[in-house]
Amino acid sequence: MKRYSQHSIEIGDFSGVPFWKKAAVMDLMYVSYGIFIVILVIGSYILGAFDLLPYDPHEINLDLLMAPPESTGHLLGTDFMGRDILSRLIIGIQAYFLPGLLAIAIAIIFGTCFGVLAGYWGSGFDTIVTYINNLLNSFPRLVLILLMVAAFKPDIYYIMVIVGITNVPVVASLIKGKIQFLKQKYFIEAATALGLNNRVIIFKHILWHNCRSLLIIQATLGMAEAILMETSLSYLGFGVQEPTPSWGNMVQAGANYFMQGKFWPSTAPALAILFTIMGFHLLGDGLNNILERKQGK
Amino acid sequence: MKLSSVRPIALLISKELVIAAFLLLGVSFVIFIILFLSPGDPFSTMLKGQMLSGAAKAGAREALGISQAWYSQYLSWLANMLHGDFGTSTRTGLPVLGEVIRVGINTLYLTVASMLLTLLLAVPIAIFSARRGMTFFNWTSTIFTYVVSALPIFWLGYIVIYISMHQFGFFPLAFGSSSQKFDWLNFMLPVFVLGIGNGTISEVVRYLREEMERVFSEDYIRTAHAKGASIWKHSFKEGFLIPITETIATKIPFILGGAVVVEQVFNWPGMGRMAWQAAQDRDYPLIMGITLLAAIIVRLGSLIQRVVHIMVNPRASQE
Repeated sequence: MKRYSQHSIEIGDFSGVPFWKKAAVMDLMYVSYGIFIVILVIGSYILGAFDLLPYDPHEINLDLLMAPPESTGHLLGTDFMGRDILSRLIIGIQAYFLPGLLAIAIAIIFGTCFGVLAGYWGSGFDTIVTYINNLLNSFPRLVLILLMVAAFKPDIYYIMVIVGITNVPVVASLIKGKIQFLKQKYFIEAATALGLNNRVIIFKHILWHNCRSLLIIQATLGMAEAILMETSLSYLGFGVQEPTPSWGNMVQAGANYFMQGKFWPSTAPALAILFTIMGFHLLGDGLNNILERKQGK
Repeated sequence: MKLSSVRPIALLISKELVIAAFLLLGVSFVIFIILFLSPGDPFSTMLKGQMLSGAAKAGAREALGISQAWYSQYLSWLANMLHGDFGTSTRTGLPVLGEVIRVGINTLYLTVASMLLTLLLAVPIAIFSARRGMTFFNWTSTIFTYVVSALPIFWLGYIVIYISMHQFGFFPLAFGSSSQKFDWLNFMLPVFVLGIGNGTISEVVRYLREEMERVFSEDYIRTAHAKGASIWKHSFKEGFLIPITETIATKIPFILGGAVVVEQVFNWPGMGRMAWQAAQDRDYPLIMGITLLAAIIVRLGSLIQRVVHIMVNPRASQE
């Protein structure tokens, strides 16, 4: 997961101008492309969940092996077993969608807890969180997951739990930095003086009013990383296994035919990965520029 | 340099060394816990399918030190490693340390060269867009970096292999398999793919640009500009050296992760490919050695980064 440098933003910058008028055009384009991709992914997931597909993704059609796109009513062609690629792409979203949400939930919830502990209550927790952060950053993610694969042969949900855990320190250190920055401002001191209890200060004044956008951005980037992990592992043969379609194992299955000049079976899922991951990255970076930096150009 | 100015820096560096040692200890503990919790120990994997009487099994476990409590297992394992004994691969029976170092050097070539390529691409884009703002060239190059960092690296590998096969009539063999001492073509293709497609370019560009913009707007740079001094000379340390080393140190894990996939695509005889093989065979000692070596490389990178940081700005690390 990415980390952003903390900028000193103006607290109480509540000029009546709405944020989309202050934002740069580039950032708005990034965000709108990202939202388009998010809607597309969720829409396709719902289509797949209700079985509203053009063809049955598991139906093998031996008369139509490797049909090129648009030729025989299959919009994106068929793969090496005659299965419709478009339907398999839509079903392939299921391979990362719920596991990815699980990874995000773990990273956000535990990251917020540790971040608040380290930022709000003192240096002992701070040292521990920094240590765990450095510790988890010492492992290349993919190598750590390969170690887990060797030890447990986990399925995709367990792998995503690991991805989520490795992202906990990232979120924690961001929240920690934010709280340490906010504590220099007077409003927390004022809230304490007014007799508000810690629960209200933390949940309402710190997390809801000041860390909301940061958490949304981290969730977006977490989804991008979950997709990357799922496709890489499925490509390597450790994630989702054939015949269940996943974008990673579809690329892998089409690889042999790629060299024969039949590009579409691996290009279609590869482009799906490309545009989706790019969408989540652009959404995260655009939201970061608009919501977190605020000063504008 | 006078001795009095070296001393505090040496103190800080030794502090960093102690921190790195503690982290490596933690790394080894995490690896041990994972293996300790895994169902079935390496021993039963090793003897899978072979009929053994209970007593013989218990005796062999005793000899391998498996029946001890977990902390004594960990300590003896740690002591063995400190003596350079990382165990033997359960598949090939060769000592792990030698194997891992042999392939680790290949991976080192690959990752260092690809890191250089990534920086060669990212640094000019970052400098231009930090200095000139958003011109058309910068706009297109920023979009380009986003596309490139979302590219699935395995697919980029196929495209490169396809083009080299059909356009240049050259099939990329595994690195080191030809008779020449150092085959450049087989070397350059995977480096190109990993350097372009490791998915970090957009972030490197964004980070470097933000840091440079921040430094360029500092007061001391404005003063330097006003009196006609070179901006580059004054902003080099804070605006270039520190961000670059920090980028390199934080991106090493990602490049090593990308190397796992690229080595798979190009049959590169490196650490990532060996890790993949070991994960398939559940070859515990081997994958443990690889994970440790990878962690050591990452920690070395960030140690160097901290040292550079301290040399450039000793004040910053005295908190």
